[in-house]
Amino acid sequence: MPTVDIDPDELRELTGHSDKSDDELRDDLFSLGLEYEGETDEGHFELEFAPDRLDRLSVEGIARSLRYDYGDDRGVYVPSTNDPEWTIEVEDTPPERPYVTGAIVRGLDLDESSLDSLIQLQEKLHATMGRKRAKGAIGVHDLTMLKGGAANVTASTPPDEAVGDLDSPAAGPASGDDEREAVEKTITYTGIDPDSEEFVPLEGDRAMTPAEVTEEHHIGVEYADLVAEMDRVPAIYDSIGLFSFPPVINGKRTEVDTGSRDLFIEMTGTDQWTIDHMLSIVCYALDARGGTVEEVTVEYTDGAPGEYAGQSFVRPDLGTKTKTVAHDRIETILGVDLDKREIGDLADRAGLDASETDTDGVYEFEIPPYRVDVLHPIDVIDDLGRAYGFNTLEPRYPDVSTVGGRHDRSKLERATRDVLVGLGFEDLLNFHMISEEENYERLQVTPGSDAVGGGDPVTIQEPYSEDYTMLRSWALPSIMLVLENNTHRSYPQDLAEIGLAAEVDESTNTNVAEHRTVAAAVARHDASYEDAKTRLQAIAANFGKELATPPIDHPTFIDGRTAAVELDGETVGVVGEIDPAVLVEHDLEVPVAAFEFRLDALE
Amino acid sequence: MRLPHAQVALLEAADADDARRIDALADEAGLKSETATGAAFALEDEGLLALSEETVESATLTDEGRAYLDEGLPEVRFYRGAIDAGADDEPAEMGPVIGAAGLDGAAVDIALSNFARKGYGQIDSGAVSADPEADPDSDPEAAALAALADGESVDDEDVLAQLDRRGLVEISETTVRSARLTDDGVTTLMAGVEVAETVGQVTPELLTSGEWQDVEFAEYNVEADADEVRTGKTHVLRQQAENVKDTLVGMGFQEMQGPTVDADFWINDCLFMPQDHPARNHWDRFALEQPAQIDELPEELVERVESAHREGVGPDGEGYHSPWDLDFAKALALRGHTTSLTARHLSGEALGELEPPQRFFSIEKAYRNDTLDATHLLEFFQIEGWVMAEELSVRDLMGTFTEFYEQFGITDIQFKPHYNPYTEPSFELFGRHPETGELIEIGNSGIFRPEMLEPLGVDCDVMAWGLALERLLMLVTGAEDIRDVHGTLVDLDFLRSEEVLY
Repeated sequence: MPTVDIDPDELRELTGHSDKSDDELRDDLFSLGLEYEGETDEGHFELEFAPDRLDRLSVEGIARSLRYDYGDDRGVYVPSTNDPEWTIEVEDTPPERPYVTGAIVRGLDLDESSLDSLIQLQEKLHATMGRKRAKGAIGVHDLTMLKGGAANVTASTPPDEAVGDLDSPAAGPASGDDEREAVEKTITYTGIDPDSEEFVPLEGDRAMTPAEVTEEHHIGVEYADLVAEMDRVPAIYDSIGLFSFPPVINGKRTEVDTGSRDLFIEMTGTDQWTIDHMLSIVCYALDARGGTVEEVTVEYTDGAPGEYAGQSFVRPDLGTKTKTVAHDRIETILGVDLDKREIGDLADRAGLDASETDTDGVYEFEIPPYRVDVLHPIDVIDDLGRAYGFNTLEPRYPDVSTVGGRHDRSKLERATRDVLVGLGFEDLLNFHMISEEENYERLQVTPGSDAVGGGDPVTIQEPYSEDYTMLRSWALPSIMLVLENNTHRSYPQDLAEIGLAAEVDESTNTNVAEHRTVAAAVARHDASYEDAKTRLQAIAANFGKELATPPIDHPTFIDGRTAAVELDGETVGVVGEIDPAVLVEHDLEVPVAAFEFRLDALE
Repeated sequence: MRLPHAQVALLEAADADDARRIDALADEAGLKSETATGAAFALEDEGLLALSEETVESATLTDEGRAYLDEGLPEVRFYRGAIDAGADDEPAEMGPVIGAAGLDGAAVDIALSNFARKGYGQIDSGAVSADPEADPDSDPEAAALAALADGESVDDEDVLAQLDRRGLVEISETTVRSARLTDDGVTTLMAGVEVAETVGQVTPELLTSGEWQDVEFAEYNVEADADEVRTGKTHVLRQQAENVKDTLVGMGFQEMQGPTVDADFWINDCLFMPQDHPARNHWDRFALEQPAQIDELPEELVERVESAHREGVGPDGEGYHSPWDLDFAKALALRGHTTSLTARHLSGEALGELEPPQRFFSIEKAYRNDTLDATHLLEFFQIEGWVMAEELSVRDLMGTFTEFYEQFGITDIQFKPHYNPYTEPSFELFGRHPETGELIEIGNSGIFRPEMLEPLGVDCDVMAWGLALERLLMLVTGAEDIRDVHGTLVDLDFLRSEEVLY
């Protein structure tokens, strides 16, 4: 499970609870669903985070949740924002990565730990919502190092009416009539030939082209796959030149350090909603650090790839959304009676706002923009339950009457296993995955042949190791492995297994034929065909089946000592003495007689 | 009269006039003491012997007593040391005498106090003078120790009491039985007794002929080890599975089965798992190379599932902002959880439409491309269970699991609110290990999301939970490494010696 590192001192400072002991904090965090995993070298808490609450990937977000939990904060909070001065113009972007968003945060006083927290938040968002930067990647820059005023921007052209992809109040039209500085302050998101331009990347000491970065720079190499298929790679310019190569690496010019007071944050990706919401989470965290969020205009030019050509947005979009929930549904899911006032109180403590609608017993809940996990009214009910305290609920056994029973196949399997154990067999439980070598070669069976076990292999794309490359087509190879691994143990070794076997079968919907197979082996100094057949007879008799054993050849067994297993006239398996070549191959020094047949033949 | 050998021998050894101790009779008759005692009781029942009992004190040497028997009593050693130092002439310095006598520690005090008591000499201001007349060779305590060691009795009560005070002997009481021939016994002996035949084995001939009534069965050493016989045994994890199945059937659950190899649609898409979810990349699951795709999926269901992923369900619903592709949904894999069976059952694909209420379970294998360690295997048995009813609350869910885990001795379950893509609310279940007291994750649970249920055509509530059977086994048996239990590396000695579960 992914973890996030939190300095408990910072948590005390940000929550305003300097008196909380480490133990108390750990308990409070556990009740939020953040499990304490251990401590880092610096004494920070290592917390396992639930992958839904991405707003809790930073100490700032966790502190916010705790303040709601403690009752210090109540209801929805939305940071205030200043109007945009800067514009991100989007043109000629690579079609594989058409979208961008951005914000400015001013007036920060970052120390080492708040800078670390920002970097951690960025990394964790990359790993989760950003799908390892493929879906969304974040770049944070020192604003003072940027110079606006790209020549190709005409400030007099008012942007087209904004069309938010969210029905949010903040996604209003850009203030296009602001003539002050808009002309000066433009950043361009575009696509370039990877060999055409140079910049000095972070952790680099010389100017490189994007192509050189992906080949020579250690971070570039790591993320090279993300741009490998692109003819033109993503690039961000200011009037000085190229300063970022998303999603791979930023330029050194705009590097952020503890002296940076004003930040420019851009995010690029394959989905506008995703990067807009990653941006909201980052803006909330920086707001908690005392920064002032300033909007940025995002202008997709007419020919820009993607869904928004010709449109313009104001970002960050910190608008709230609403979910409508019926009072009854809250009560039935939580299993408790609540009045309106209690529901309002629970909502406040969950950081939500509840209001009554025109319909009696129906509420509208306002959800802040960092809550990317809230998709449906049921998520609101879960929040109310957490605020109520699920662990305070009294368990009750549901008043629901049903009749239990086992599946027919499971009953047959149990009865067959009882007979095998009664015959003295040690019941085995082996893996269904095996290698082709074990399944076929070491038992001298040819894949794709008619012999029992010879079915075409069901193979795995990315096996864990070369020992587990396919599903076994029969169980005798597993038993032979157990015999091989136990030659130091006393004989006789009478082993049996009932379990899955599978082979390719194009006549089925999944193209795989699966069945339960019954396999058994008798290993002792004088084991012979007779020992296998006598037990097989006993099994057949217990299930009222007529057994016949007409001679056949099978590559695993000795010719002339091998027979087909026929139950009620149907050929369902094989019985015989194992070929000495197979025994020697498995390091065995005793003879082995064995049989294998389909479980359903006993029905 | 025919009597068993031991009784005949005892009868012949016994005396009509004197009651003789049974030990002595046993010696004379060449019997083991226990055998003789048993025979004596049998003869008493026949009225041939009269038994009497008396309580006898006997003394046995303690470890210390035995040590002095070998080394000599400390005071005697001290006296000899003093004589060697010439203390019979004039007082000698005590230190060298102690050294010469080889005494140290507590033995010094013991030597000094008994030296004076027995009149071996005197000690004055650290100087020893020895009485030249004393005779340590006839020390009565040393003699008594030697007599006891030889199994003789010591008649001098004072000496015995002194040895007891010194902790050199232990005095215990035993019951001694004696036997005397009764008049009937004498008469019987006079008439002649014969030894009955002894028989080793009960045979069919013996039984049918009636001869068994006249024979004596040879005694066996019933305590001796017998030959080992090996039982076949159901694999311990299967036994655990059977126990869980019994429990769940008893709670009204019906068993599900279904394909091991299945389309990702049934494994993940039906569970509202977004297609770009990190767990769905090919590294974490076992996608199939061959065959690669399922042939058919139910078309209308596919549309509803896709729509739930893209748009969500209900007027306020939101979907994922993730790609959704039919080919991806049709790709085959080894199921990563048996919730795929639940999806097939809820959709009506497995058994047709299900009307509430229903309870279903399965205990089948799931496959995860995880790192192998003591608690993780590539294949494990998942206990999957769900309840369908018109209305269910989290309290019903808690009540069901509390009941279930109690059957396995796990009480005091804690519910930690959690996140699953397909349940809301969701809980991880924690329980205390009955032996270690440690809080351990024992399952994952929740109420299925509307985005899962609506496309499957379910319009009531369904709550569900999952748990690794192996985890439960480890809790129940204390097994520490699951790799020892499951798979071809298993040690047959482990399977043979593992206790059965019930």
